[in-house]
Amino acid sequence: MTNNSFSALAALAAATPGAAGCSEREMVRQSGKVKLYRYRPIARPSVSTPLLIVYALVNRPYMMDLQEDRSLIRGLLNEGLDVYLIDWGYPDGADRFTTLADYLDDHLAGCVAHILEAQHLDALNMLGVCQGGVLSLCFSALQPQRIKNLITMVTPVDFHSPADLLSKWARRIDIAAWVGDGNVSGDVLNQLFLSLMPFRLTQQKYVDLLAANPDRAGAENFMRVEQWIFDSPDQAGAAFREFVTWFYQENRLAQNRLEISGRKVDLRTLRVPVLNLIGKRDHLVPPAASLALKGLVGSRDYTALEFDLGHIGMYISARAQHEVPASIAKWLAAR
Amino acid sequence: MQPDPWAQWLAFSARFTPGASPSGIAQNASSFAPFADLSERFNAAARAYFDGAANAPAAAAAQSFGDSLRELFSEIQLPWNLSAGTGGAPPMFTPNSPALGASRESQLRAQRMAEAWRRIEEAQRRLQRFGADAVREAAATFAAGLAAAPPQAPSAEALHKLYGTWIDCAEDAYARAAHGEPFCNALADYVNASSEWRKELQAGIEHSAKLLDLPTRSEINTLTQRLMAVEHELRALREQSRPEAAATPQRAPQRVPRKKAKP
Repeated sequence: MTNNSFSALAALAAATPGAAGCSEREMVRQSGKVKLYRYRPIARPSVSTPLLIVYALVNRPYMMDLQEDRSLIRGLLNEGLDVYLIDWGYPDGADRFTTLADYLDDHLAGCVAHILEAQHLDALNMLGVCQGGVLSLCFSALQPQRIKNLITMVTPVDFHSPADLLSKWARRIDIAAWVGDGNVSGDVLNQLFLSLMPFRLTQQKYVDLLAANPDRAGAENFMRVEQWIFDSPDQAGAAFREFVTWFYQENRLAQNRLEISGRKVDLRTLRVPVLNLIGKRDHLVPPAASLALKGLVGSRDYTALEFDLGHIGMYISARAQHEVPASIAKWLAAR
Repeated sequence: MQPDPWAQWLAFSARFTPGASPSGIAQNASSFAPFADLSERFNAAARAYFDGAANAPAAAAAQSFGDSLRELFSEIQLPWNLSAGTGGAPPMFTPNSPALGASRESQLRAQRMAEAWRRIEEAQRRLQRFGADAVREAAATFAAGLAAAPPQAPSAEALHKLYGTWIDCAEDAYARAAHGEPFCNALADYVNASSEWRKELQAGIEHSAKLLDLPTRSEINTLTQRLMAVEHELRALREQSRPEAAATPQRAPQRVPRKKAKP
């Protein structure tokens, strides 16, 4: 056994990924566990309206700013955007009855109001990512006067598209019984996500990693992503039950049947410019699930950009670093 | 001089072997052991294939390789087999036996748990069958592809590529099964039975807690819901007091619906 034989494992063992974000930022608002961050600018401003990133509830948002050379946020800052990010935190037992309406009307609306008041604006730009894109669509339809431009990224809209395996599984499950009165474990959800491609996600990626014999930097890159994948917050039970029932099982958003707290979420009322970013190789949110947005929004200014990337690749791949932030900035600058 | 691919793969597999490292690094790699073992066995099967291919028809060697992979991967632990299994709690009561006496409620609860456990195990067996069928289908596809276009030389790259091809076959076969209605039904049965089992277990624990005058989850839930209702009302009042509130559509203050107390 040579020293080289152990180099990959040594690099992995020594990796100190510290995956909590790399760009400088300041917490500007906190309400319970939900925090709003504003990132320090690093380039000359190109777009005056701030951009609020709304991430998913099911994973931690530091994936948006994983490391300097793999950071969507850093890319946006480099393009001269004023970037805010919501961190939903880790729900615990006290949050089990938190509903989607709570997330939208209290947390998301509170963050939007804070930014608008602080910057003396009527509307801001919003970037919703994955499940956060669904929340962004709902918020924008409910409070369109507060949105100037909406960007959705790897966001499911039609939850019954043929390739959506997660949806097929979810449709037959008794969600109310599964959730009960509690939260849903992030660990259990991870098992579900791994089950979508078990051979690739539980075996091949590790074999490939070691076969590639990564150096320390490569090992740290891998470990950061690994840390993020399995750093999964528990889900507030009520909101999870609503999300799975209304979206995955009943497909209410695409069928124009969604109501939140008695208010209809009608995407046809959404007339602001919309940019829809899609990963062609996304196994979690199939392209068809996102592309359906075009036929549902009322906006005449709708743009869809497809990238030959997977779900996670849309945030962290080298190609995404070059293409995604620049596309967003260019689109915003034109509006 | 060309490196020996077998030696490379042996070294590769040995990286994962706990205790093989004088520096103790391998202890940190113990989590790699399950798939490292698979890698090593894949290597052995591939070597047998290359050895056999020299002396037998390509189709026969490929078939043999596919068969060994099928056997090798039939043991894969899929996620739904991790949380509960046949080695778990056995049913304590026979379903449908009469529940009599002062402990009647407890007997019924135990019967419901036993029935739920039976359904969990039955669903797990169905899911395992789907997994095994997918691996068998993958092995056949893999062998057919290999027979049609066998690799030219057993290099380390060729072995790694073969492994990638095998994973592609396995994922394709698995996806075909996983998208099917029988698989979806089996998975739903597994989750639903697990939910039922957990609900009965929680009810039993609540019952015991009440006997000991300990706070129960239901009581804490009730308090949480009351607190949330107060918070909602407070927030609504604050919104109403804002000057611009009239222009912004807000949801009505709502009471969090009370849930029935658990039995």
